[in-house]
Amino acid sequence: MLHDILITLTVLTNFTLVATSRIHKSIQVAAFQGVLLGLLPLTLGLGFHIHILLMAAAAVIVKGWFIPFLLRRALAKVHIHREVHPYIGYTVSLMLCALGTGMSIVLAHNLPLKPGGPFALFVPAALATLFTGFLLLVSRRKAITQVVGYLVLENGIYLFGLMLIEAMPILVETGVLLDLFVGIFVMGIVINHITVAFDSMDTRQLAELKD
Amino acid sequence: MVALYLVLLGAVLWLGSGLAALGRPSERISLPLSLLGSGLGVAGAVLCLVQGSAGAMDFHFAGFPARMAIDALSAAFLLPLHIVAGLGALYGSSYWPMDAPKGTGRSLRFFYALLVSAMSLVFLARQGIFFLLAWEIMAVSAFFLVGTDHEDAKVRRAAWTYLVATHIGTLILTALMVLLARRSGGWLWIPILGATSPKLDMAILVLALFGFGFKAGWIPFHFWLPAAHAGAPSHVSAILSAVMLKSGIYGVLRVSGMLPWIPAGVGGVLLLLGAATALYGVFYALAERDFKRLLAYSSVENIGVIGMGIGLGLTGRATHDSWLTALGFGSALLHVWNHAAFKSLLFFGAGSVLHATETRDMEKLGGLASRMPRTARLLFPGLLAVAALPPFGAFVSEWVLYRGLFAALMRGYPWSAGLALPALAVVGGLAAVAFAKFFGFVFLGTPRSAAAEKAHDPQLPMLIAMGILATICLALGLGSAWLLPAVDRVVAMLAPGASDLLVSSIGHELRVIGGFSGAVLVMGGLAWSWTRRSGKAQNSLPEPNPPTWGCGYIAPTARMQYSADSFSDGWAGLLPGRRIRMRRLKAIFPTPSTFHTELIDSVGLGFLEPRIERLAERSLRLRKLQPGYLTIYLLYVLLALLGVFLWMLLRPWLMLLLGWPP
Repeated sequence: MLHDILITLTVLTNFTLVATSRIHKSIQVAAFQGVLLGLLPLTLGLGFHIHILLMAAAAVIVKGWFIPFLLRRALAKVHIHREVHPYIGYTVSLMLCALGTGMSIVLAHNLPLKPGGPFALFVPAALATLFTGFLLLVSRRKAITQVVGYLVLENGIYLFGLMLIEAMPILVETGVLLDLFVGIFVMGIVINHITVAFDSMDTRQLAELKD
Repeated sequence: MVALYLVLLGAVLWLGSGLAALGRPSERISLPLSLLGSGLGVAGAVLCLVQGSAGAMDFHFAGFPARMAIDALSAAFLLPLHIVAGLGALYGSSYWPMDAPKGTGRSLRFFYALLVSAMSLVFLARQGIFFLLAWEIMAVSAFFLVGTDHEDAKVRRAAWTYLVATHIGTLILTALMVLLARRSGGWLWIPILGATSPKLDMAILVLALFGFGFKAGWIPFHFWLPAAHAGAPSHVSAILSAVMLKSGIYGVLRVSGMLPWIPAGVGGVLLLLGAATALYGVFYALAERDFKRLLAYSSVENIGVIGMGIGLGLTGRATHDSWLTALGFGSALLHVWNHAAFKSLLFFGAGSVLHATETRDMEKLGGLASRMPRTARLLFPGLLAVAALPPFGAFVSEWVLYRGLFAALMRGYPWSAGLALPALAVVGGLAAVAFAKFFGFVFLGTPRSAAAEKAHDPQLPMLIAMGILATICLALGLGSAWLLPAVDRVVAMLAPGASDLLVSSIGHELRVIGGFSGAVLVMGGLAWSWTRRSGKAQNSLPEPNPPTWGCGYIAPTARMQYSADSFSDGWAGLLPGRRIRMRRLKAIFPTPSTFHTELIDSVGLGFLEPRIERLAERSLRLRKLQPGYLTIYLLYVLLALLGVFLWMLLRPWLMLLLGWPP
């Protein structure tokens, strides 16, 4: 029961993320989503193995605290507060996000998965989060919002992976977290460099690097 | 087993010599190591060919069982490899010194050694993946070798063309290996027994002809060959022409030998393809004025002749005619050896000329016979051999091929053999003309440029290498009858049931040919020494020694001589790839005029290049897909993902709609 609520909240955070224009808020919401996902393994009724506890703690700390901390620090350096003029407007984004969520549900129904169990909502929620992440990546201009999009995308993948939590060795999970961390790190460097090189954080400037 | 270890140790020593070339003491260690490696390789190959002892070694490679083995077929190709490679290293030590500019001396030795050891593995490998790996190392090190002189734009271009061609070949070979693994149920190469599956066997054979054809250089896959072989340093050209092309031949023989059954048409098609290749090669060789390209085109011609032999052998296998099989494969094998010997000799000789004059244009040479007498004398046997004249080996291998073709005519496969016979005759004649041109315009007459005027003989190591090869050329001709047991062993590998056929049937006639030409040679030698002695005694007046083609004029110039182009004009004028630019003489007192000819390979530059360029131009439009915005790229990813999802959603309905079973 509890996990259903957490998943529903995750999907709702997706909508919030798409609709908000304040960068501070979107970082906050992404962190919240990370915490939700981090708590999720504890509610699946699998008991409190050290393995699951460790994973939950790692997810909460990395997704809920460390990465948002890095993003806030980057934000403090560049003095930006809003995402102005995204490629796709907020209303349209919201509609697209809703469309994506609906499609995910249809798709999840048609996937050859085992019905029933505690995972009924997992697949649609995972796909919806994936689409939201992509939507953010595609429609926003500022590098930092794109990083948030990347974070959400990874959250979707993480959610998908949770279904296999019993089968998946801890090494793989830490691998996923590490991957995420490295991704954010690289994008942090990119943010820093385009700010220095072009005096702006608009990723359109990167087109000048094309050969 | 000993043979296998010897060859493997030889390959390891070669690798060591390559690494030593990168280090400090270099030449003093590198050259002996490579010579020792070659010696071991030759010893292993000879041991295997003479005793017929085979050996195999099993191991695991990339998680799959793999095998290296030596048998008569491998040994037949390892032998020329190690002879040519060792002599090439000796030749290269003074041809391309270690301290050549831009470090090319070291990189050349390293990649040369890598090429030799990789090629040894190619001939030893008996497993698909391992073979491909060795093949690829061979191909890539050859790329670096061809591009040794990378300051020259033409050489760079030749190297890239070669790389593309060889990789297309590798691509086809990869498909071939997969099919082969499917057919035999594993990556190991074992003779496939049991039921035939015509479609799969046919596919394997066709892929082998295409994939290995890119390496061997049958038309139309030869387009990379002339430029690559002409642009490489000469001892590299020698090993590329004499051995690396043969790795394609080896591949065809090996793969076809594994199949239980050969479709009947393939042999005839290969016979005709070989005939066409030989004709094409010899015509272009005739028209070429760059003497290294001339040699490269002559390699195309000889590969064609070898291809004819293989085609005949395959026809024999398909019709279970062991006599045809033995003659076909036997002639191909003999020609592989002979071509390895005389073509490396010719390339070494061409390298000496290039070394002395720094030009490859025959119109700028001439009169070198008096300036480089040793080179000329050592090169001459190679010329006679390439023209397939007795007493040299190529005469014997073409003799065997003629026997095979006539036998095929008697057996009633007239269409392919009937076409191939006149083709072979024309090829032999034109090859003689082409090399008369080569020798006549490089070595005879008077020098056409200052560079040729000052030419001189090369250093001793180069002459020694050429001398050994010249001896081998002669020995292959005089002693051909003693090669037959080894040839029989290889033929027995390729087509079971044809054992000892050649020794018992044509052994006698080869002995007669060898003995007769040996006797003629000895008598000719005696006569020559006798006339010389008696001539010396009589000749008291010093001769004025006028220039060749002086025509009795008082002040003849070198430009009055025949030019190489005019010599070959009668035949070469027919070629589609020949471009002539000339200004006609008009007035009564004409102004200075020019005449310029140029030969373009009609497959490579004539046909392929404009099409590839057009394709590249059209592909530029795709650049619009790359706008440089990160978001656009991400959008592509998203669209692809959505596409996959949609496909998964709609697939069941689509299947239903089209009536396919799900």
